[in-house]
Amino acid sequence: MDDHTSLRDSAEQALAWMKSAGFDHAQAGVSQSAMTELNITLNEPSLMRSTELRKLSLVGLLDGRRAATELGALDEASVREAIAQLFMAARSAPQDAANAVSCGQQAQIERGPAEADAGLLADKVAELLQFRAQETPRMMIEEGTASHQRQDTHLLTTGGSELRCRRGWYEMTAFGSAHEGASTSSFNVAGGTSAELASRPAPDWFGIGDMLRDTSQQVDTRPLDRKFVGEVVLTPPAVEDLLGWLLGQLSDTALISGSSLYRERVGQIVAAPSLGLRSRFEVPGVAPFTADGFVPGSVELLRDGRLLTLLPSLYGSRRTGLPHVPVAEGGWEISPGERSRGDLVASVARGAVVGRLSMGMPAANGDFSGVIKNSFLVESGVVGTALSEVMISGNIARMLQDLRAVSRERIDTGATLLPWLQIGGLHFS
Amino acid sequence: MSLQAPPWLAGLGYSELRRHELRKSRMMMVDGSLTQNVRVSEGGTSARVYRDGYWGFASTPATSAAAAEKVAHRAGQNAQAMSRFGARAAYSLPEGHYRGEHVFRGKSTLAQQEIVDRLAALHAWCQQRYHGLKSTRLVVGDEHHSKWLSTSHGGESLASIQRALCQVTFIAEGADGAPVELTETLSSKGHLADLDWSLESLAPRLDELHTHLMAKCQAVAAEGGLHTVVLAPPLAGMLAHEAMGHPCEADIVLGGAVTGGLLGQRVGSELVTMLDVAHTFEGAETMIPVYVDDEGTPARDAVLIRGGLLTEFMNSRETAARLGVTATGNARAYAPSDEPLVRMRNTVILPGTTALSDMIAGVDNGYLLMKTANGQADSTTEFMFGISLAYEIRDGRLGRAIRDTTLSGSAIKVLQSVDAVSDDMHWSCSGYCGKKQPMVVSMGGPALRARAHLGGQ
Repeated sequence: MDDHTSLRDSAEQALAWMKSAGFDHAQAGVSQSAMTELNITLNEPSLMRSTELRKLSLVGLLDGRRAATELGALDEASVREAIAQLFMAARSAPQDAANAVSCGQQAQIERGPAEADAGLLADKVAELLQFRAQETPRMMIEEGTASHQRQDTHLLTTGGSELRCRRGWYEMTAFGSAHEGASTSSFNVAGGTSAELASRPAPDWFGIGDMLRDTSQQVDTRPLDRKFVGEVVLTPPAVEDLLGWLLGQLSDTALISGSSLYRERVGQIVAAPSLGLRSRFEVPGVAPFTADGFVPGSVELLRDGRLLTLLPSLYGSRRTGLPHVPVAEGGWEISPGERSRGDLVASVARGAVVGRLSMGMPAANGDFSGVIKNSFLVESGVVGTALSEVMISGNIARMLQDLRAVSRERIDTGATLLPWLQIGGLHFS
Repeated sequence: MSLQAPPWLAGLGYSELRRHELRKSRMMMVDGSLTQNVRVSEGGTSARVYRDGYWGFASTPATSAAAAEKVAHRAGQNAQAMSRFGARAAYSLPEGHYRGEHVFRGKSTLAQQEIVDRLAALHAWCQQRYHGLKSTRLVVGDEHHSKWLSTSHGGESLASIQRALCQVTFIAEGADGAPVELTETLSSKGHLADLDWSLESLAPRLDELHTHLMAKCQAVAAEGGLHTVVLAPPLAGMLAHEAMGHPCEADIVLGGAVTGGLLGQRVGSELVTMLDVAHTFEGAETMIPVYVDDEGTPARDAVLIRGGLLTEFMNSRETAARLGVTATGNARAYAPSDEPLVRMRNTVILPGTTALSDMIAGVDNGYLLMKTANGQADSTTEFMFGISLAYEIRDGRLGRAIRDTTLSGSAIKVLQSVDAVSDDMHWSCSGYCGKKQPMVVSMGGPALRARAHLGGQ
């Protein structure tokens, strides 16, 4: 019996026990994962880490009442005890007609390398450290990782859904800051996931080399001497903050609570015509089915600035009456533009290239203010000094509309494929 | 359950063996609908071995004696495998060890039905009592860690951490038609039965929350720039944690944080004293009591700033060895499959002697900052907090509410500018600290008056 047969058996058994416990509908998902990780600490290889995890996720519905649980122990006594507690939890939950489990979903997905190549991971660590020492000696990589992860999952529902997945992927990250004498830069980070790491040197993955080079130039910084309204060129890591806010606005919590700005705006222009946003759920590192048991199809969210859909889950859909749109937990790309990122910067009259936004959760209406980190001043199209203690403020919904240009270059981190964005109308202080 | 140190452990060289159980629950009710009702239980055994200057770590979900031996040997093999990067001198790790049990014994747990009933009652009560609400979001949850640890130094311990939280979020419509929200958070040691989230206890706090929400619906934008600000006690705790706490973690110091060169120097006004408390503060056990860390080191308070002078850092065994100081018991691992990292425990700025009302009265033109959503630190000590509730101060009196904004500055410059510290304190343990792994921590502090940057026009 292979591992996956064992997972299916565990899921089937749990589902049978849930049915016999009295649940009307149920979902049982079993996953098993293994990780091999090499760590860098303070510019040196430091730790090799091997982990194994196992998880049983159960969802039970009883007379429209819902409860869920996760447990790591898969022996019969533990699972039966968890099901008994789950039954009590569901019985005490309020009735909600929106609760349901997926029906008729079938998929068998195999993706990425199943086994770790520890030699490859070591090579990538060595390449990264060599690059740092030779090309960016000011950098201190405080934490870095090269890892392989494998996850096998089997999910069943009483609605006849059966989803099976075996996926493996590699991951690299680098986190650190640059130093010269008593001066130090802000910390910076880059990383991502891929089906392989062998085809390119470590610094060429996920913008890691660019991050190390840029951060090395940010040791000497200065604050702004006055306030102004100007432009930003957001690098892909900073664009992620905009993306995260937008996705939150289109998802369950905001839709159900009525705090979404976009609830009634499907089909309307909500962003500049140069903005296109679509899914890439098929990439390594992104789970190929949703937690509620659906295989997400391709989703186009924005086309030429027009909002094409909202993103309610099955529950959110039944709660709000909006069409259900399954989405994975990550996997989005913004369409490239036609101009180079250098052109974008060159057309900025006054503003900054923003490496990272350090900010609080934007308000529900999109208002935000944040410190721009790992950023450079731009005046008359020329990149100047690195900045410190500079804040920008604005409104993210407004920023999407005030988008002036999208770069043709993008950084692929696996979970995202994002360009540089030039946006005007930001208040600098 | 106990974890006797197996005889083979000492033979692995410096090593730790940890059995870790983690249980969490979380319920979210949005406008009366239970949108989240989840319990999580995970556990496992992990081992970490230090050999020839390299670390090896391995974990398994199994908890048997055989699994422990297997995972320990795997950790040893992993450490050995690191030798492919070349020979390296090993640090002589500090050898303190701890033997003992520390388990919080609170009230009997609440039945699931009671929690749901109380959420429903709270929702109905909010709907009936507060006008102008577009939505109400309630979250309750708790989290319980139990760690059995054996070390090759002879340490054997059982330590538990339990915390509970209740969050109430009100959403209304602002003057411009856009949503405006505010959250009140309660937290405590223990589980939900130990947290007082009764209607009687919540009523005055929610009355106040609603009043603030209505004010925020008419809020104006903050004036961006450097201002005199009064940070209410919840923000001082965040300042302690984010702004100066992280740059005082020894691994961050070794990574080049500016604090590394400032020991013995002035980093705050003489009114500022800041500690990372291990387990006991003013005679009472803290919210996140750490008597022994996940390396088996007996935990002690780390006095980070005394009277404005930077005095010491938080250390694991390895960072202590690198810096030539004693370990403080700050090495903590979040999940059963995580290795220990240098993490904070209960970080606090000590209270002063000034009444908060007097601190406000002494400001001609500035802001009172009352609630924060999140924060982020930097190796430069430059920090950022999201500010979700704040008011103008004009001529010593509170004025209009301001919209969500961000507070930032150099923690050292901000702490050096502190000219008043209030005589009251606020502790919380509701959030997670993020640093490769999440971590449960608490933070506390009084109100501070200082100069800092606010985002705005």
